Amino acid sequence: MFGIESGIVLALLGAALAVGLAGIGSAIGVGIVGQSAAGVVTEDPDKFGQTLLLQALPGTQGIYGLLTGFIIMQRVGVIGGGLMLDLGMDKGLAVFMAALPIALVGFLSAIAQGRAAAAGVGVIAKRPEELGKAIIYAVMVETYAVLALLASIMLLFGIPLP
Amino acid sequence: MPIIDMKKVYLLAHREEREKIFNLLHRLGLVELVDVKTGGSWNEFRSLLQPEQAAGPVNRLESELGEVRYCLDFLQRNFPVRKTFVEQFAGSKIALSEAEFSGYTGQAERVKSIYASCRTAEDDLSRIRNEETHCRNLLEELRPWADFTVPLEEVKNGSRTLMFLAAVPVGAYATLQEELAANAADYYREEVSAGRETVYCFFIFPAASAEPVSALFKSAAAAVISFPGLAGTPAAVARGLEQKLAGLDEERGAVLSRVEQLVAHRPLLMAYFDYLSNERAKQEAVALLGGTGSSFLLEGWVPAPALSGLEKTLAEKTETAVLVSRDPEKYEEVPVLLHNRGPAEAYEVVTRLYSVPSREELDPTPFLAPFFFVFFGICLSDAGYGLLLSLAALFLSRKMRLGGMGKQLINLLFLGGLSSLAFGILMGGYFGDLIKLPPLWFNPLDDPMRMLFFCFVFGLVHVYFGMGLQAYRSIRAGKPLHALFDQGFWFIFLNGLILLFLPEFASLAKWLALGGAAGLILTQGRAQKGLLKKALSGLLSLYNVTGYLSDVLSYSRLLALGLATGVIASAINTMGGLAATIFGTIFGTVVMVGLLLGGHLFNLVISTLGSYVHTSRLQYIEFFGKFFEGGGRAFRPFGFSARFVDVLRAKEAGHAGTEAAVSSPST
Repeated sequence: MFGIESGIVLALLGAALAVGLAGIGSAIGVGIVGQSAAGVVTEDPDKFGQTLLLQALPGTQGIYGLLTGFIIMQRVGVIGGGLMLDLGMDKGLAVFMAALPIALVGFLSAIAQGRAAAAGVGVIAKRPEELGKAIIYAVMVETYAVLALLASIMLLFGIPLP
Repeated sequence: MPIIDMKKVYLLAHREEREKIFNLLHRLGLVELVDVKTGGSWNEFRSLLQPEQAAGPVNRLESELGEVRYCLDFLQRNFPVRKTFVEQFAGSKIALSEAEFSGYTGQAERVKSIYASCRTAEDDLSRIRNEETHCRNLLEELRPWADFTVPLEEVKNGSRTLMFLAAVPVGAYATLQEELAANAADYYREEVSAGRETVYCFFIFPAASAEPVSALFKSAAAAVISFPGLAGTPAAVARGLEQKLAGLDEERGAVLSRVEQLVAHRPLLMAYFDYLSNERAKQEAVALLGGTGSSFLLEGWVPAPALSGLEKTLAEKTETAVLVSRDPEKYEEVPVLLHNRGPAEAYEVVTRLYSVPSREELDPTPFLAPFFFVFFGICLSDAGYGLLLSLAALFLSRKMRLGGMGKQLINLLFLGGLSSLAFGILMGGYFGDLIKLPPLWFNPLDDPMRMLFFCFVFGLVHVYFGMGLQAYRSIRAGKPLHALFDQGFWFIFLNGLILLFLPEFASLAKWLALGGAAGLILTQGRAQKGLLKKALSGLLSLYNVTGYLSDVLSYSRLLALGLATGVIASAINTMGGLAATIFGTIFGTVVMVGLLLGGHLFNLVISTLGSYVHTSRLQYIEFFGKFFEGGGRAFRPFGFSARFVDVLRAKEAGHAGTEAAVSSPST
């Protein structure tokens, strides 16, 4: 179909890593919070809503990764037709690099955020009125995923593609 | 005036009017009671007054509360009421008019009888459960003997014979038969049934061989099984048990339908619970008083605007009450009551989730409100989502009776929706790119750098505003030099640094930056002792410029979240479009509509959550960090507080204003 020397391979690898790594991180993070939350809900089923809110927080990295992957797919023509088979090696590598911030930071920050949010679930267990503070602790972690997303998006829009 | 002034009040009255005055104060909900013994003036009073003891009825009320709670728990166990998803956040209360509520509170006898019925029902249920377990166990034991045709009461030892049922382990069965054949005289054996591990047999032996037989059975680990008290063949007994089980089931149904009739009284129980817990609070408050033989003294805090109304009411409705008030002393910890008017009130929830301001601080609510409004809009930045969010908030606030923070949060989301609608129109986002309208301003997707620049500008304004507020606090506290040193020099220095990027201001910028830096170096070490230390810590303070830098960079999240909302929405639209082309016209349209509805709803929820938490963070870390510490204690008036019911009371003439001032903290 096309040779390995085409840059499209690297570009698609970038998209795959952005979606894949950030998604794995989010899955682990959300899983960590879910375990804590299930423990609390055993005691008090009415806390389902509050704990679900905390569980949703580490899920955003996966969405940011998907977002980045989607932008790549759109820019290299996977979506919308006209896949750029003749993409240069340099352009492909550039797209791959642009995907790295959200892929790496998304992966690790989602796990770290999952831990912070799981600790927040402990706050909800004892003092449900302090939900706001528990959320803020988890959001402090998310900042870096947002910054990485910003870097990835700006890099992607900065690469001139035909 | 966002923080309401407080007055310390002392109320002296005759003992006979105590209950009346307590009921009055409880109804008004304007006074936060203070323990007289811990109040500042106790030393002056202590030779005159005795501390009061909590009155006796507390124990009675406590046990009645326990009974009502038991009834509610019992009903909840058998006929649970599930809270909806929204109610888990906002709480759910039943709305009652005042007449309905007082109608309920007079039904002490009714509550007693409900309690008795609940107790009986629970006893019945547990008896039925026990009997069922007994029957089931017996049935289980009888199962291997189902084919045994001798009535059980006839399986007994006679004068010449031993007759019994036994369970023999399969492994030992063959050996046992051999041993029996060798050691016992003639005997009868009937194999009734055989399980995987056990053989169930009926044996008859001559009485003479009792000793060797029992030894053999013991060595084979075979168990002799008896069914004392049962008559008839096992099959007949089992039939009887089945019938009994069916009867028990029916009985349980009857008991449960009795309980179900009690469910109708749940509102009564809930109202009565709240009534009792308020009565208990009144009785417990007695322990805060001081008194003499025939009078009592009450100490408390009252919001200053409510004071004259309180004085008037007391004068009208009581004969002996004397109310004295004064301004708070410096050493007293004054409770804080926030009161913001108009749209700013919604943003009180943001402040309160962080901390109530302390007495000396400004209430940050009116200052953060416009920033929160704008930042939330930039984060969501979609006209369609904004409209949906506002409509949903409007619907919820109409449908549910929310008070306090729940109501404020809904209002905040409503305003956030409006802001998002505005920014969506400015930036051309209508469900992503579903509706293609040109942006009124510009689309950040087309020029992200430009939007990033504006985010930094917004951030700088926000941060400067926070610094300005701190400067204002210092000036108001009579320390204008602090304002100049800690904020003024930074302001000059930072502006100088920023202007360095603009060539046309280069020379001005250089002098501004140098001047600001010099000012900082000279003043920031002023708390240190010794010239060297002063100079060093002054120099080191310049390092804080990284703090301001990271503060401003932090506002780039506004761009990132705005882009995320828009691009995810566009991705949903693209997928919908793909589905329509893949699956053909009719089915494809169905799939597309489903994808669009589900996808946009998901994105709306996730993006709203993200916008709310990140905008809050910008207030808490970047903005509050400049001027606000918090750590105040919220005003908690002695008044009606309820877990289950919401009593709608008609406002009393003359108190409308003060009630509004005090109603907000009763969350």
